[in-house]
Amino acid sequence: MSGPTLHDQHTSQLSPEIPGMGMMRLPPRTGQVVVAPAATELAPTDQIRALYRLSDPALSELDLEDLLDELLVRIQEVLEVDTVAILLYDADTNELLARAAKGIEEEVEQGVRVPLGRGFAGRIAAERVAIFIADVDHADIMNPILREKGISSLLGLPLIVEGELIGVLHVGSLKPRTFGPRDLALLQVAAARAAPGIERARLYSALEQEHSVAMMLQRSLLPQQMVNLAGVSVAARYMPATFEVGGDWYDFFPLPNGRFGMAIGDVVGHGLRAAALMGQLRTALHSYALEDHSPARTLQLVDRYIRSMSQDAMATAAYVVLDTDTGALQLASAGHLPALVLGGNGGRILELPPSPPLGAFPYASWTDHESSLGGEETLVFYTDGLVERPGTQLMTSIGRLLAVTAAAASAEEACRLAIDQMIPFARLRDDIAIVALQYGTVPEELNLCLPTEPVVLADVRRVVRRWLRAQAVAEQDSREIVLAVSEVCANAIEHAYPPVPAEFDLTARRTGDRLEFVVRDTGAWREPRGDNRGRGLKVVRAAMDEVEVSPSDSGTEVVMRRRVGG
Amino acid sequence: MTLGDLQLELQDSVLIAHLTGEVDLSNARGIEDAIAVATPNHTVTVIVDLSQLRYLDSAGIQLLYRLREQLHVRGQDLRLVLGPDSPASDALRLAGVIDQLRTSDTLQDALG
Repeated sequence: MSGPTLHDQHTSQLSPEIPGMGMMRLPPRTGQVVVAPAATELAPTDQIRALYRLSDPALSELDLEDLLDELLVRIQEVLEVDTVAILLYDADTNELLARAAKGIEEEVEQGVRVPLGRGFAGRIAAERVAIFIADVDHADIMNPILREKGISSLLGLPLIVEGELIGVLHVGSLKPRTFGPRDLALLQVAAARAAPGIERARLYSALEQEHSVAMMLQRSLLPQQMVNLAGVSVAARYMPATFEVGGDWYDFFPLPNGRFGMAIGDVVGHGLRAAALMGQLRTALHSYALEDHSPARTLQLVDRYIRSMSQDAMATAAYVVLDTDTGALQLASAGHLPALVLGGNGGRILELPPSPPLGAFPYASWTDHESSLGGEETLVFYTDGLVERPGTQLMTSIGRLLAVTAAAASAEEACRLAIDQMIPFARLRDDIAIVALQYGTVPEELNLCLPTEPVVLADVRRVVRRWLRAQAVAEQDSREIVLAVSEVCANAIEHAYPPVPAEFDLTARRTGDRLEFVVRDTGAWREPRGDNRGRGLKVVRAAMDEVEVSPSDSGTEVVMRRRVGG
Repeated sequence: MTLGDLQLELQDSVLIAHLTGEVDLSNARGIEDAIAVATPNHTVTVIVDLSQLRYLDSAGIQLLYRLREQLHVRGQDLRLVLGPDSPASDALRLAGVIDQLRTSDTLQDALG
C-alpha cells in the first residue's frame, strides 16, 4: 500500500501538466465543472514546504484519529481552504459515510451517508475520478450541509488502496474559487498519506471486532465450571491465537449410570466461521453423547451432521467415556492427536490406528477402543496448537508434552504444566485447547463430609460402589449395601434443619471380613413416620447384619455393619 | 444430565412409563408428577417399567405407592415390570413390599 497506486487512476507524477486534471469529468447536466487551467506557479521552496507538510513521515506515527485530525488541519492550511472532509466507503451498504471533517464538522456529527453514484462525493467514488465544482449553487449536490455552509467551490478525489476504493477526500471554499492542478496534486499527496493509514486502521478494527465476537462465542460455549465429582476431577484451558480465533473446543459432562464423557475437537480453519462451526459441532457431539451412543457412533453421527450442512467443514475430534465405577475407558478418535495417560510409571501415549477426520469422506465410520484408567491416572486431550512447532516432528513434540506433564499430581497441574512448558513466550499462531480428567484412587477408609442436599446421594452411591469394588465385595452384596447406605444418608438429608445449610458425615472402614459404615448428622432423630420411612429403615435392616441408631442432643449417629466374603 | 429419565409410551388404553437411570429422594417426586400428569383419563392401566433402572430406594417405592393411590381414585390400575434380578426388585424385596404390588418379569406379561 503506497502513494503511487492512488495516482494510477489520475496522475502518476506531480508535474505541472497534471494529466489527471484532464480526466476530470463534466457532470452530464450542468457544466460547472471546470477543467482548470494551470494555476499560478508557486515558488519551488513554497511548493516543497507544502508537499512536506502533507507527506511528513511523522504523520505515520499517529493513530488513525490523530492522523486524520492533523492531516485535515494541514490540508486546510496548505490549500487555504475552508472545509475538508473524508468520507469512507461502506461496502455493505454501498454508501459513503462521513468520517472526519474540518469546517463542516456537522457532516461527521450527523453521520452523513451518501449513496455511491449520487451527488458530488458519490460520483467521485463511483467513477473514481477527481471532480471540481466551481459553483455549488448550480451543481448536483446531494448533501445539504455543503449548501447550508455556504460553500461555493469544491474539489474532491477518490481514496484508493491497491485498486480498492476506500473513500473520498474533498475540500471546499466559501468564496468562489478555481482549484488548479497544484491544488489537486497537493490533495493527492494528502490522500496518499491518509489512505493506507485509514485502510490499515479499518482492517485492524474489523479484525478486532471479529476477534472479540469469536472470543465471546468461544467463552460462551466452553464449560465454565470445572467439575469435581466424587472420584473424577477435570481441568481445562483454552488459549486463543494472538491474531485469530480458531475452532478448538473441549467438553465434558456426566452421563447416565455413573459414566462420564469428555471430548475435544478442532475445526479446520480459522476466524469467525471456524468458531461458529466449532459451536455447532460441540453441540452436536454433546447432544448425541447424551443419547448414550458409544464414542465411535457419536463421532459418526457428528460426521453425518456435518455432511448434512450446506457448507464444507472438516474437524478432528476425540471422545471418551469413563465408567467411574471401574475406570474402564471407551474411546474413539476422528483423526485427532493421540491422548496421553499420566501417572503410574511415567505415563503413556494412547496411540490409536489412523482414522479419518469428521466431514472428510462419505460413509466414514470409526472404531471404539477399550482402555482403562488406574487410580490417580489422568487422561489428557489436547489440540495441535500445543504441540505443532515448525521444524519439530509431531511425535517428538508429543513425547515432550508427555515428559513435561508426567509428574502432574492432578488434572489441574497437568494443564498448568502443559501450558507453562509447551507454549513459547511469544505470539500464538494457533489456538490451543487442553482438557484433563483424573480418576481418583479409592482410599482404604472413606471419610466424607457432605452437604445435606438430595443431589449428593448419587455421588455417595458412586463412591461407595467404588470403595466396595476396591474391597472385592461381590456385585449382589454391593448392591444391597449401597442401597442401605444411601437410605440412611437420605434420612440424614431429609431431617436436616432447613433452611440452614448443613452437612453430614459418612465413614466406611473394613475390619477383617466386617464392613462398618457410620452416618452422623446434626439433625434430631425422628421416629420413622408413615409407610415410606418405615420402609427405608426396613430396607436398611434387611440389607445389613447390624444397625444401631443413636440419637443424641447434637445429632444422630447410625452405625451399620455387614460381613462379606473374600 | 438428569439422574433418572422417563419415556412414556401410550398403547390404546395402556400407558407404559419406562424408567432408566436412578430414582432416589432427589427426583422421585418429579417422576411421580410427570407420570400422573401424562396419564390420560381413558387409560385403564399404567405400567411402570423398572427393569432397566439402575437404582431404586424407599423414596422410589413411595413414589409407586402414591402413584397407585392417585390412579386408584381414577379407577386406574398400576402394574410394575421388574425384570429378573434387577436393582428395583432388590429394593422391593428388602422393603418387604414385593408381594403387595402387581409385578411382572417382562413387559409382555404386564400387558397380557
